Amino acid sequence: MATASLSAFTRGIGRYALVAALAAVFATFAALAPGFLSGANLVSVLVNNFALLAIVAVAMTFAVSAGGIDLSVGTAIDFASFAFVSLVLAGQPIPLAALGGLAGGALVGLFNAVLIAGIGISPFLATLGTLFVGRSVQQLLTNGGNPVYLPPAGVPEAFRFLGHGSVAGLPVPLLVAALVIAGAWLVLSRTRFGRVVLATGIQASVVRYSGIRLSRVTAATYVLVSAIAAIVGLILTSTVTVYIPSSGNAFLLNAIGATFIGTTFDPHGRPNVPGTVLGVLLLGIVANGLLLSGLNFYWQQVGTGLLIFSVLAIGFANRKAAARA
Amino acid sequence: MVDAVENGGDAILHFDGVVKRFGGAAALSGASLTVRRGTVHGLVGQNGAGKSTLIKLLAGLHRADEGTIEIDGKAYERLTPHLAEALGIHFIHQDRLLVPTFTVGETLFLGREPRIAGTPFLDRAAMRRKAAEMLDRYFGLQLPASALIADLSAAEKQIVQITRALIANPKVLVFDEPTAALVRREADLLFRLIRRLSEEGITILYISHYLGEIVDLCDTVTVLRNGRDVATLPITETSAAKIGALMVNRAIGELYPKPQVTPGETLLQVENLALTDRYDEVSFTLRRGEVLGFTGLVGSGAKEVVRTLFGLDRPTGGTVSVKGEAVFATDPAKATAKRLALVPEDRRRDGVALDLAVTENTTLASLGRFSRGLIDRGAERRQTEDLVKRLQIKTDGIDALVRTLSGGNQQKVAIAKWLSRQSEIYLLDEPTVGVDIAAKVEIYRLIGELAERGAGILVLSSDIEELLGITDRVLVFFRGRVTREFISSETSPDQVLTDVTGAHETLRHAG
Ligand SMILES: Nc1ncnc2c1ncn2[C@@H]1O[C@H](COP(=O)(O)OP(=O)(O)OP(=O)(O)O)[C@@H](O)[C@H]1O
Ligand SMILES: [Mg+2]
Repeated sequence: MATASLSAFTRGIGRYALVAALAAVFATFAALAPGFLSGANLVSVLVNNFALLAIVAVAMTFAVSAGGIDLSVGTAIDFASFAFVSLVLAGQPIPLAALGGLAGGALVGLFNAVLIAGIGISPFLATLGTLFVGRSVQQLLTNGGNPVYLPPAGVPEAFRFLGHGSVAGLPVPLLVAALVIAGAWLVLSRTRFGRVVLATGIQASVVRYSGIRLSRVTAATYVLVSAIAAIVGLILTSTVTVYIPSSGNAFLLNAIGATFIGTTFDPHGRPNVPGTVLGVLLLGIVANGLLLSGLNFYWQQVGTGLLIFSVLAIGFANRKAAARA
Repeated sequence: MVDAVENGGDAILHFDGVVKRFGGAAALSGASLTVRRGTVHGLVGQNGAGKSTLIKLLAGLHRADEGTIEIDGKAYERLTPHLAEALGIHFIHQDRLLVPTFTVGETLFLGREPRIAGTPFLDRAAMRRKAAEMLDRYFGLQLPASALIADLSAAEKQIVQITRALIANPKVLVFDEPTAALVRREADLLFRLIRRLSEEGITILYISHYLGEIVDLCDTVTVLRNGRDVATLPITETSAAKIGALMVNRAIGELYPKPQVTPGETLLQVENLALTDRYDEVSFTLRRGEVLGFTGLVGSGAKEVVRTLFGLDRPTGGTVSVKGEAVFATDPAKATAKRLALVPEDRRRDGVALDLAVTENTTLASLGRFSRGLIDRGAERRQTEDLVKRLQIKTDGIDALVRTLSGGNQQKVAIAKWLSRQSEIYLLDEPTVGVDIAAKVEIYRLIGELAERGAGILVLSSDIEELLGITDRVLVFFRGRVTREFISSETSPDQVLTDVTGAHETLRHAG
C-alpha cells in the first residue's frame, strides 16, 4: 500500500534525526577527543554518564507522557538516599534499608499525587512546590544541610554492591538501568496502564468519559515516577557512601532534556522510553566528549544546549513536513 | 457534469480542478466550484467527500497540490489565513477548537484587540461593551464577555465563532456545518441572520448535512462526491431527495429503518431524579430492546439528566437503578462498570482523542478485554478492524490519528468505543450531528441492531423528525421537567415541537 510505505518513510526520517545526531556526535568525538574510543572511557560513559541519568529520565518520561512533568525527581532521589543512609546507620539489614529508601522516595510521589490528583494543582507548580519543600525538609533534618557520612569502617560490604558491584562482569548500576529501561518500556508501550497514561497526556477528558478514573491514573503515575527515581538515590548513596542534601537535583534538567529529545523518535512526537534512552546516550556522550576535549564546564553546557535545540528543531521540522505532505 | 451556473464575471470565488492529497489518499481529486457574488451557495457531500478540505484550501490552512483558486477574478498561489482574512473571507470552521481558557471577549477580538487610544494597552472596557452588544444584536444572547469558553455550551461556542467573524465585516462568510451544534431555535436564528447578511450583500458559502436547510436557504447547491464536484444546480431545479441521491450516487432507501422489538426486562429505572436548578421529578424506565428519545431546548434538563446518569453530575434527589439494583454513579467509571455508555455531544473534546490512533480510541474504554498483563495487540487490532468494517468508518488505516478523519467518521469511532466495551445501556447525545445522510441511516440501523441484541438506548436529539423515526417513545423536557411522553409511531413532529417550545404552557395559561 502506497500510504503505508509513505508513513513508514516519514517515520524513518523522524527516527533518523536522533540516531544520526548520535552517530555524528560519536564520530566527531572519536576523531577529535583523545581517548574517547578507549574501552575504559566507553564503560565510564555508560556507568557515569548514562546509567543513573537514564533511570531518572525514564521516570520523567512517565510524567511527561501523562501530560505533566515532575520537577521533584531530585527530591525523591534525596529522600531515598537519606532514608537508606539513616536506616543503615541505625543498624538495619541492607535489603530492609534499601526498601526503606525506596519507600522514602515514593513518599515524595505520594505527596505530589495528593497535590495533583487530589487537589488539582498543575503538575508543574505542584512538583515545583515539592522541590522547595523537600529542600527545606532536608535542611531541617541535617542541621542546615550537612552531609551524612557512613563511617568507612562500619559500612557492610553489601552496602557497596549497588554502586560498585558487578554481575557477570557487568557493573550493577548499568544492569539496574537496563532492567528499569526494559520494564518501563513494557509498561508504557504494552500495558493498559501505559496506554491510559498516554491517553491522559493526549486528551484527559476523553479518558474520563471512557469510564477511567483519571485521578487514580495521575496519582499512580507520580508515585511511580518517584519510586523509579528513588532507585537512583540508592545507587548514588552506595557509590559515594554519603548522603548530601539536595544533591539529586543535578539530574533534573538533563532528564527533562532527554525526554523531550526522545519525543522526536516517535512518529507522533509522543514521549517514549527508547527515545528517552537515546536522548540520555546523546547527552552522556556529549558531556564526556566535551570533557575529554578539554573544554571548560561552561562550554559543555553551551554544547548540550545547542544539541537539544538542534535535535528538537530537526524533529519538529520533520513532523511538520510529514503533516503537510 | 452538470453545470447550470454560468462561469460569469460575477464569480467571487472560483476553484478550478483542485487536487489535494494527504499522504497517499486524495481528499480532493479535481474539484471545481464557482460561487457568485451575493448568493448563498450550498456545498454538500458525504462524510469525507472533501468539503472541509476545500474550504481549508480557501482559508490557507492547506495548500492545493494542483488546480487554481481565484478570488475576485485573481488567482492566488499562496493563500494564508492572514491573506484570506485580508481579502474579506471569514470562516466558521467545523472543527476549530476555541482556546478553553480564553474569555468570550478575548476570543472575539483575538488578533484585532481594540487599544486604548494612543497606548499599546488593550481596551478591556471597549471589548466587553462591544462583545455584549454584538452577541445581543445578532443572537439576542446575554453572554458576559468575561465568561470562559470552557464554560460555554456547544451552541454558545458556535455563536461566539460566528460573532467573531461578523466583527470583521466580512465580504464572504463560509460556514462549515454551523447548525450541527445548534438546536432548532438557535438554528432558526442563524437562518434569519444568514438571510439578513445575504441581503446586505455578503456572499455565503454554506456546508451542511441537513438537506432541508440547504433547500430553504441556498440559491445554488454544489454536490461533492469522492473529492470531485458532481453537480451544481440552482435550488429551484432540485429537491432534498435529489441532492441526497446525488451525494451517495444511489437512491437512499428507507431513512428510518426501525426494527420491531418486543421490550424485555427493565434495564434502567429512574425515579424522581432531581438536580437543584437543573431538573426535577424526572421518572422513566428503559427496557431491553427499547429506544427512548429525549428532547428539549438548551437548559430544558434533558442533557443534564443524561450527564447525571453517566455519573458526570451528582443528583440532589431521586433514585437510579440498573437491572433492579440501586446505583449511585458518582463518576463515569461507576457508570461504565454498570455497562452504561455515553456518546457525548462534544465529540472532539470528550468522545475521541484526536491525537490517538483509531485503534487506541476504539479500545480505550475496553482495554481490560485486551490485556492479560500486556495488551494483546493482535486482538486489539482485529476488534478495531472488525468495527471499522461494521460501521464503515472511512479511514486511512486503523493506525491513522483520529484527527485525520472527517467529522462523521470521528463520530463513528466514538460509538465504536462502546461497542468494543459491549455496553448494554447506550446514552447517545446528538449522535448524528455532522453525520452525512448515508452514515446517519447506518447509525440508525446500528441503533436498531443494538436494540435487537437486547441493549437499551436513550437518544437525545433536537432533530425531532429523526427522533420520532428511530425511537419507541419520546420524552419532552421543558424547564427541567418531563412535560409530555409521546408514542413515536403515533406522533407528528409538529405535536412534539409545540411541547418543546413550551407553546402548550402559554395556551394553558391563556385558557
Ligand atoms: N489533515 C489530514 N490528514 C490526512 N487526511 C485528511 C486530513 N484532513 C482530511 N483528510 C481526509 O480527507 C478526506 C476529506 O475530508 P474532509 O474533512 O474534507 O471531509 P468532509 O467532506 O468535510 O466530511 P464531513 O462531512 O465528515 O466533515 C477524508 O477522507 C479525510 O480522512
Ligand atoms: Mg467537514
